[in-house]
Amino acid sequence: MGVPGTELPRWREERAAPGGPAITVRALRKSFGPKEAVAGIDLTIAAGSLAGLVGPNGAGKTTSLSMMTGLLRPDGGQIVINGLDVWEDPVAAKAIMGVVPSEVRLFDRLSGAEMLEYSGRLRGLPAAEARSRATQLLDVLDLTADAKRLVADYSTGMRKKTALGCALIHNPSALFLDEPLEGVDPISADVIRRLLTRYVGSGSTVLFSSHVMELVEQVCDHVSIIDKGRIVATGTTDQVRGGKTLQQAFVDLVGPRASGEEGLSWLGSSSS
Amino acid sequence: MARLLVQLKLRQLTNALRSSTGAKVSFIISTTFAVLVAFGAFVALALMRGTATSVDLTTVIFTVFAFGWLILPIFVFGLDSTLDPATLQLYPLRTRPLAVGLLAASATGAWPVANVVGLLGVTVGLARGGLGVLFAVLAVALQVLFCMVLARFVTTGMAGLLRSRRGRDLGVFLVIPLFALYEFFAQVVPRVAAEGKINAASFNGFDAWMRWLPPGLAAHAIQDASDGRAGAALLRLAILAAVIIVLGWLWIRSLRQALVTTDTSARSSQVRGTALPLAGYGRAGAVAARYWIYQRREPMSLAYWALAAVIMAAASASAVLQKPQHPAIVLTGAVFGAAFVGGFHANAIGLTGPPFVYEALALTGRRHLRSYFAGESLVLAAIGVPILTALCFGLAAAAGSPLEGIPAAAVALAALGASLGISAIFSVVAAYPMEKRAGNPMPQPASGSGAYRFAILGTLVATAVAAIPAILAAVFTSTVPEPIRAPVLLVCAAAYGLALAVAGVRIAAGAAEQKLPELYQVALRTRL
Repeated sequence: MGVPGTELPRWREERAAPGGPAITVRALRKSFGPKEAVAGIDLTIAAGSLAGLVGPNGAGKTTSLSMMTGLLRPDGGQIVINGLDVWEDPVAAKAIMGVVPSEVRLFDRLSGAEMLEYSGRLRGLPAAEARSRATQLLDVLDLTADAKRLVADYSTGMRKKTALGCALIHNPSALFLDEPLEGVDPISADVIRRLLTRYVGSGSTVLFSSHVMELVEQVCDHVSIIDKGRIVATGTTDQVRGGKTLQQAFVDLVGPRASGEEGLSWLGSSSS
Repeated sequence: MARLLVQLKLRQLTNALRSSTGAKVSFIISTTFAVLVAFGAFVALALMRGTATSVDLTTVIFTVFAFGWLILPIFVFGLDSTLDPATLQLYPLRTRPLAVGLLAASATGAWPVANVVGLLGVTVGLARGGLGVLFAVLAVALQVLFCMVLARFVTTGMAGLLRSRRGRDLGVFLVIPLFALYEFFAQVVPRVAAEGKINAASFNGFDAWMRWLPPGLAAHAIQDASDGRAGAALLRLAILAAVIIVLGWLWIRSLRQALVTTDTSARSSQVRGTALPLAGYGRAGAVAARYWIYQRREPMSLAYWALAAVIMAAASASAVLQKPQHPAIVLTGAVFGAAFVGGFHANAIGLTGPPFVYEALALTGRRHLRSYFAGESLVLAAIGVPILTALCFGLAAAAGSPLEGIPAAAVALAALGASLGISAIFSVVAAYPMEKRAGNPMPQPASGSGAYRFAILGTLVATAVAAIPAILAAVFTSTVPEPIRAPVLLVCAAAYGLALAVAGVRIAAGAAEQKLPELYQVALRTRL
């Protein structure tokens, strides 16, 4: 078993040179009854970017990513991934994308190795190739020792890593991750972070949602801030920060939400 | 402490009435059943007055109640937060007052009251004279206390397991024998009793060994006191009290341990190989491999097969026991069994739940979706065909004409193909989310989804209709010599079933292609 690191398996192919748009979103909208969850967002992510979509809880991150990946039908708008319209040509578009959903619910009665092989075979890989890639991914994700354990007995971090392996096994050119590091221990988070950095280095594109500003600031070269279903800022990480920390820029844009702390006058003032 | 825990239990019960419609309905049904059990047990015990087997039957009823106390907390573990010591771990509580409080919580609610009221039927049935009634009241009090301590001891000791995946699996597996018992008493016992093969005398001497179990001690103490043997009665109750004290001591020890022990149940299962089977059969092979593994490893899938087998066996036994027997029972059993195989699986995507995302992302076109439904149907056929064949020949043998198993097996093949095809279609056109509710380890249709009635009944009725040509072929060829009839009938029926299954898979795939995002949203709302 290799030391977990950034070495991607040999089957990674080179991508087109970064620069052109890999993900283009135009006027994307979605309402649930009277609530407008996504109110017409526009977004352009260049190929080879590691882009972050940040926002408070309920801002519309998961809804947007679900529509971008063909899992939720939008009320309006257009999503183009590497020139393929997700809703006009879903078969071709889905073939070139990998997805890690927010709530990672895997087939938990399969072992980790079986889960990865299943994902590969569903994507049309021959069984031998799917097995070979699964073995390499398990190694890179530091899951080889647990490859025969049922996913049901995996920790949150192991599940996230398995889901990432499933999303990568068919060698997609665009990767969508919804809160990929939520509930993940620092070691697993580091493995995932380095793997993603290495992945975009070959020209592939990653778009992930998060509300952990430090993480986004650390790894993303492109950031979009979403609030109440609208993009309130987008650009390179430096542009969005505007000389401040991303946390501060985010708070300035979205605005403080908590109040009423004066009601806790008893807190810390006595032992009862 | 006792007051607080009783209030907590009462709050949990009243909150059920303010909760979702499903919770309200469950609460009302549960309370109604508790009233019926109280009334039924009281009347049943009271009516035993003067019968020769009254003490044997009382022992049986006391034992059944104790068994209920032993089993039911495992099902309601997630429903009653006073059952899990982990919920109290964070508070600075002393064990003894906590134990008293937990026992008081156990005694709160409709079911404990129903227990006491129901069992007090012995004051009319088994007890005779003032001393008998006095000992009956004491015996019932000790019996109920024994049940409560036993339940607490078991749930506290098993709390770690019940909280884990294995515990949830255990709950699912326990449904099978309980359902089998229910079917046995609902379908088989009434017919056997109607023929006079079961009567009160059947219980004579039944308690030869059960009299020494705690419920038996309570029942026999009442009889001893009624017969004027106060010393023997007192001795029996003293032994019962000693058992309760020992059990209580073990429970408190286990509770003390549970309150200061972090749950480290990290036991996990390993599979033998790492590779999925059916390599080389493309996407259909991959789906079939995953589905086949799930039929073996997923308790819910195993439970569905076991429940289908129990229903088939109970209905068959009931039909075979019926006099006079109708010659159509074997064919009816074949169609009924096949329809249930499809009916139980007529919501493939809702039953898969959120992991369906991996399939929804990969299987996009119509051709891929055909592979998906074909893979699942192949697995159901691989399991269903041997079970249905055994059912047909078993029924035919029981009905006294083993050769009738051949046309019945042919009808079963046709009906199974129809059932699988229809089940695939309903899985798409009437998909609905499932959810597991506290107190029931088997998933139920989520609140507000009425599609399940349509899907299950639709599959049953459509299967029966689709099987008519095969039934007619079986009936109208009965005069043809068997060496010619059997192979022709089997091959034609299998081909007909296969054609129906393929047609169903193709229709389902076409429909699924149009509504894949909607199907994924159904899967996402499933909570298993």
